[in-house]
Amino acid sequence: MRTLSAALAGFPTWAQSTLRFPGKRPMLVHNDFPEDLETPVEYFDSWLTPIDKFFVRQHLPRPKADPAAYRLKVHGLVHTPLSLSLDDLRKMPQFKVPATLECAGNGRGNFKPKIPGLQWTKGAIGNAEWRGVRTADLLKRAGVKPDAKFGTANGMDAGVAKTPDFIRSVPLRKLMHESTLIALEMNGQPLPELHGFPARLIVPGWDGASWVKWVNDLELSPQADKGFYFATAYKYPNFSVGPGGAAKPEEMEVLEGMAVVSFFSKPLDQAKVKIGSVPLFGVAFGGENRISRVDISTDGGATWAAARLGAENFQFAWRTFSYDWKPAKKGHYTLCARATDTSGRVQPIEAEWNPSGYLWNAIDRISVTVEA
Amino acid sequence: MKPLFCSMTLTALLAAADPAAIEKGRAEEKRVCVACHGLRIIHIQRLNRGQWDREITKMVGWGTVVKEREALLEYLVASYGDDKPAAPLARSQDGTQKP
Ligand code: HEC
Repeated sequence: MRTLSAALAGFPTWAQSTLRFPGKRPMLVHNDFPEDLETPVEYFDSWLTPIDKFFVRQHLPRPKADPAAYRLKVHGLVHTPLSLSLDDLRKMPQFKVPATLECAGNGRGNFKPKIPGLQWTKGAIGNAEWRGVRTADLLKRAGVKPDAKFGTANGMDAGVAKTPDFIRSVPLRKLMHESTLIALEMNGQPLPELHGFPARLIVPGWDGASWVKWVNDLELSPQADKGFYFATAYKYPNFSVGPGGAAKPEEMEVLEGMAVVSFFSKPLDQAKVKIGSVPLFGVAFGGENRISRVDISTDGGATWAAARLGAENFQFAWRTFSYDWKPAKKGHYTLCARATDTSGRVQPIEAEWNPSGYLWNAIDRISVTVEA
Repeated sequence: MKPLFCSMTLTALLAAADPAAIEKGRAEEKRVCVACHGLRIIHIQRLNRGQWDREITKMVGWGTVVKEREALLEYLVASYGDDKPAAPLARSQDGTQKP
């Protein structure tokens, strides 16, 4: 852990830098150190989100990993503790999983009253192909003892002074799922440093907080971690508290799956379009559920019609949608997108306010002007 | 009980209007709030007095050494209060091109 004075001594290098992030296209900047970068919705124009457009969320200053020295430790309640190099991991069977990563706080900036935290608008989400080793294979190799209920993942990042370390526990049932990975690659490339080089936990369908970056430690235990980032943060009340309301700690539950959401990518909010034919395009995500339909309204929600869904249809990955809109009259229009998932969840008119501003998922709404 | 509450509110209002306190708070922020993260994550927030007070408490708990707490709070409420319009988000330059 770095001390406060060491951190202050390091201040000038990043403070003087311009807003340019190597490897990233123009992004919406919530924080420059460490980088918290939102994807502008116009980049959601393809099923896979390229790395150079993928959002970035970091809690703590990120580590510089030495790939030769890297070891993934699997220990705790196991028969054979493991310490695996990158080569060891690459020698194990590799699996590819397309999965959408969304920050639990995506859309926090849309809640009223305001809630402290990153003020994401809509773009703390992206879809990628992750490739690596199944956590189930690692756990089978280590031999999990019967009392183990959780795997607690820790990365190489560390906080300054008394800042809590970023540590997350994942229940064994999810770690044994065939789609849960220790990924070494993202969209066919080694994971970039911003996205967790050399290894990242992939927990498909769950909030981004569970997808621990720079992961090098997985400890099996009967209980979940008691630290800030698992026991206090990333929790959601078990009843609706109402705007500005509060819940007792015992009424807060750990977030697991995500809400059902959709976002227009085209046209942009406040765009001017030509009368005649206007293609609408966007993405919809249902956490652990697939998207079963997306409905579009071009009259502010008075009437709805089904959008066409994209061909790529995988559990854990978002689905693209498109709609050929043929406005016949000039004027101002409110367009809405409303996704439904296979468990029957539908986006609400208003997202449920909660104390930390998680899971914002109101029906997406944009305004466009049709010109003659 | 009631008069005490009123006088506290009045003190807060007077302090909020004091440019010297705000300047002192701004200097305190520059001095102590930069060790672990940039100022941007602070300036994108729009919070009420109670929320800002809790943020300072949280950061102090994590090891921030604040000497001018009252001035810092006045500055944060005056500059980034929940009555202010949302902060426009900066767009970064293209980092895939040579600068
Ligand atoms: C000892 C390290 C440290 C110092 C010094 C520090 N902070 Fe923080 N602060 C953090 C961490 C860690 C986070 C969480 C970052 C994250 O999760 O992205 C944070 C986040 C925040 C946030 C975002 C909301 C939240 O609670 O996550 C605000 C606002 C904030 N800090 C304000 C301040 C202010 C004001 C100061 C100066 C009084 C300060 N910080 C100094 C560590 C620090």
